[in-house]
Amino acid sequence: MMAKIKKIDANILRLIMILIVFLIIACVTQPTNFMKADNFRSMAKQMTEYGLMALGVGVCMISGGIDLSCVYIANLSGITAGLMMQSMSTTSSGSGYILLSVLVAILVGAACGIFNGFLISYLRIPAMLATLGSYQLFMGISIVISNGSTVSGIPEGYTMWGTTLLAGIPFAFVVFLICIILLSLIMSKTRFGQKVYLVGTNAKAAKFAGIKNNSVLIRSYMISGILSAIAGLLSLARINSAKADFGSSYTMQTILIVVLGGVNPDGGFGSIPGIAIAVVILQLLSSYLNMFPNISNYYRDLIWGVALIAVLILNFVTNKRKQARLAKAS
Amino acid sequence: MGNILAVKGIKKSFGGVHALKGVDLTIKEGETHCLAGENGCGKSTIIKVISGFYQPDEGTIEINEKGYPVMTPSEAINAGVQVIYQDFSIFPNLTVIENLAFNQILANKKKLVNKKEFRRIAEEAVKKINFDVDLDALVETLPVADKQLIAISRALLDNAKLIIMDEPTTALTKKEVKRLFEIITDLKKNGVTILFVSHKLDEVFEISDSITILRNGENVITCPTSEMTEEKFTYYMTGRHFDTNQNKADMEKNIGETIMSVKGLSAPGFENVNFELHKGEILGVTGQLGSGRTELSLALFGLLKPTAGTITMEGKEVKIPNVSAAEKLGIALVPEDRLTEGLFLPQSIIKNITVSKMDELTSKAGILSNKKVVEESAKWVKDIGVATKNHEFPVQTLSGGNQQKVVLGRWLATNPKVLILNGPTVGVDIGAKYDIHSLLRKLASEGMAIIIVSDDIAEVIATCDRAIVMQGGRVTGQLDGSELSNDSLTSATN
Amino acid sequence: MKKLKNLTKQSEFYVFIIIVVLSIIIQARSGLFFANNNIVDTVRSMIVPSIYALCALLSFVSTGPDVSFPLIAALSTYLALITTNALGMGESMVIVFVFAIVYGSIMGALNGIIIVKYKFPSLIVTLGTSSIFSGILLGAFEAERMDLPAGLQRMGKASLLSVKNAETGLGSTLPMTFLILVALYVITYLVLNYTMVGRGVYAVGGDEVSAERAGFNVKKIRFGVFTANGAIAAIGGVCYAVMSMRYLPTEYAGGEMIVIAAIVLGGTRMAGGVGTLKGCILGTLLLTMVSNSLILIGISVYWQKVFIGAIIIIGTAVSALQSYGASRVKSKVKEAA
Repeated sequence: MMAKIKKIDANILRLIMILIVFLIIACVTQPTNFMKADNFRSMAKQMTEYGLMALGVGVCMISGGIDLSCVYIANLSGITAGLMMQSMSTTSSGSGYILLSVLVAILVGAACGIFNGFLISYLRIPAMLATLGSYQLFMGISIVISNGSTVSGIPEGYTMWGTTLLAGIPFAFVVFLICIILLSLIMSKTRFGQKVYLVGTNAKAAKFAGIKNNSVLIRSYMISGILSAIAGLLSLARINSAKADFGSSYTMQTILIVVLGGVNPDGGFGSIPGIAIAVVILQLLSSYLNMFPNISNYYRDLIWGVALIAVLILNFVTNKRKQARLAKAS
Repeated sequence: MGNILAVKGIKKSFGGVHALKGVDLTIKEGETHCLAGENGCGKSTIIKVISGFYQPDEGTIEINEKGYPVMTPSEAINAGVQVIYQDFSIFPNLTVIENLAFNQILANKKKLVNKKEFRRIAEEAVKKINFDVDLDALVETLPVADKQLIAISRALLDNAKLIIMDEPTTALTKKEVKRLFEIITDLKKNGVTILFVSHKLDEVFEISDSITILRNGENVITCPTSEMTEEKFTYYMTGRHFDTNQNKADMEKNIGETIMSVKGLSAPGFENVNFELHKGEILGVTGQLGSGRTELSLALFGLLKPTAGTITMEGKEVKIPNVSAAEKLGIALVPEDRLTEGLFLPQSIIKNITVSKMDELTSKAGILSNKKVVEESAKWVKDIGVATKNHEFPVQTLSGGNQQKVVLGRWLATNPKVLILNGPTVGVDIGAKYDIHSLLRKLASEGMAIIIVSDDIAEVIATCDRAIVMQGGRVTGQLDGSELSNDSLTSATN
Repeated sequence: MKKLKNLTKQSEFYVFIIIVVLSIIIQARSGLFFANNNIVDTVRSMIVPSIYALCALLSFVSTGPDVSFPLIAALSTYLALITTNALGMGESMVIVFVFAIVYGSIMGALNGIIIVKYKFPSLIVTLGTSSIFSGILLGAFEAERMDLPAGLQRMGKASLLSVKNAETGLGSTLPMTFLILVALYVITYLVLNYTMVGRGVYAVGGDEVSAERAGFNVKKIRFGVFTANGAIAAIGGVCYAVMSMRYLPTEYAGGEMIVIAAIVLGGTRMAGGVGTLKGCILGTLLLTMVSNSLILIGISVYWQKVFIGAIIIIGTAVSALQSYGASRVKSKVKEAA
């Protein structure tokens, strides 16, 4: 049994410890403001959007690549849904058209992801460059279809989801939780998940072992695209609008989160729960800093950067020890 | 003549692991000395000690009877010691000129680039071995043998008196090896001493004057090559006695019906290959590097698209567009390069063994059963004797032989009808090699059809019932059991 | 003949052809591309990206991507400005540059230390330090837009060349910063091609182990590259402020990806060891042309990003497939031999 617990991953244990320590500090220093249901609700809403994208980036990084286009897939999906709802709200009644718009937006996200996967697998463009190019493309398409302006005038039948609570929990966060659970299962329990890890470790060996690398990669980026589309849809409901260049700074944040969450930047290792916990820690941190009016929210960047480098170094040192131990053992 | 190199009592340990436990090595000036031993015997560590990259914990180093209490890389170079590594230490992205001139320019502590001087140095270098090459070419565009010659001529530039060659023939074709040996002979005439590190029997006997064998970080023997025999050599390297030929005769042979037949098969790299493979038979495919043997194995496994010809499995003509199609037909391939093609090095032994069987271990809902995976892996670890304490350990912690067994186990787990092995024992210790050969013979006696693709003639003789010989992409010979011998194969492949 | 053959092997050559074709098309459709003001305008918009391109080139050739240069530029410019203001030395523009270079080098050195010591992927490290620099700039210092000291203002107002298009009446000026760009390229060219340290940058990127064995100090070279990148980024940052006539802290971030795309289009190899200054200029020129000149042929600015994205994807796909094809051809040749 002990061995089982040990297996859970030193990294996740460490992240949970950080989370607990942080909560204790927050409780002690800001008992009234921080420990309020309202505060938690607003945190839950805020973390959802970049959290979803971070999950997607995580899958791509585990597969040995990276996805820089998430934010723009999210915006493109949001704009698509927004424009559809806008144009149909005058002619249609009921909520069928809203559902249709949502479905189309998710399909758009999936298509963008498949496009990324195609560039990376069949055309063999390094993932960083492929998604660097495609983000310009997706952003460009968003600008073209939205005429470069903000898409607003979203029907209330849709925006109400931005404020809906399910058992006191914001709807968006429930969606986030479902995505975390589903993705964790996919990555740890299914054949596909295992293949993503193996392709990320050694793509050539994966090919020789009978894994269809191209299909695994395309599906990985498709997952990332779908998660981004969901993020875009939730953002559309929350802020009642969509624009081609919303949330540009999220791109780098998602990568930070994924590495903080213990994903190996070279691929092959990392876990979805780790990424999820990293998302929570960072949201707590940034909301906590907001409690101090005289501390700029930009301090968050500083802390994230330091945390990233610190986690890298920590992982480096522990890995080195682990390897020395293994070498001795065998 | 005196000793150009004398190292005595060298000890070196890394984090508690004793890599060298008191090694002596004495080389006479002007001789070609062979340093042999299995993987992990300490060959590469002692080279690094001599060339100043590692500081020994104990022991002395003398070059030309001068002691070096602390040897550094630049001191070693100044003393005339040059190492030619397996990767040749070259810069693929730069020109031949720069590759040749860098060392000397840096050794002279020059800060600026003088293009004329670079060219002069490069021309001087290639002249030493009459090496004809475009000096302005980028090295990445040159064939392997030329890269090695760049390394050799560069070494000679620094007035090398002792050149250490670390497994120099690994990536060379037979023709290229011949040329290398001619150059070594020439160098010897000019008074250059060579330390030739190798584990290939035939090469060692052909080129060296004397031999030192290491095992587990200790000296086993040093003697003139003329006093060495093949049996002794194997025994000293491994500490075990093997008699491979007898084993082959002992095994009951039971060759059955045709399982695979290949007619007029062509693909980039080879053309018009025909053969039939029967149940229980071990077919050898041999030939030099670049003869098309590797490409043939890839084509049979769905990794190379045939341009013409047919493959028939159990009487039915089949197409093999990808690996999973090959797998479904019951074809398995243990690839040539274990480290890059065969294994997921940092992943666990379990994952490495079960990767190709994942589909069977998955429920209808697509959920992988952890329990089944662990059981399956445990079964194969036990069956083929992978030496490990923990199946969760990364495969990279295993020795070469055990790593190869993991790849083999992965494919045996899919229960193949035709097992193709490309270089099944490259970089594998003699002990593990023996185990793998016995295992293959056992599998054949149980009815599996096996193709062994190998340039190791001894291996083909020891295991195969029949062999086809390839040359320049064509089959140039077929040898049946009785005709298989060292001489017949050697002459056929040349 | 051989020279021509070599030329067609270089990706710079293809970028050059594309640039020529594109400029001819734009000229044919609008008659405005080769107008003096458009040329000066294009050069003007290339100045800062081309300076950044040096950072991207050096890091890619020796180690891997560096994405921290925009924020090093922003932070070092800010620090240089407040230092000169505090010391009352705003009259001299040289002083501002010197301070910026010092600050930038320190930040670059931080990147260098982490990357060299732990061998982490440079992308992730520079991403982290970018975040740190951004936190320091906007969080700790709460930097806001600032007017420039007198020395830089004078520099910003001065111009090397002023042209006016006779037909359209549109004018354009070539700023002093152009000289800085030229100087940086000349220095970098000399260092990369005529010093052993410069060759070392390529050697380290080509094969780290071989470089170590040949006698290059791999760690020092990599550390030096990132430190130099800091200094170059700082110069670019001050130039940017000079050209905008004020310091805008939030305008810096976000330029890194386009710069990287430009140098990769210009033939810089992602795996390291290969990349030229010629390629930097051509790649930057191509992307600048697309952003600046599409409007001349009546394509709405809305399409600009689509075009840039498409060019990056097509350009990288061609070079990726080319190198894949080359490796295949090579193995075939090996068979024939």
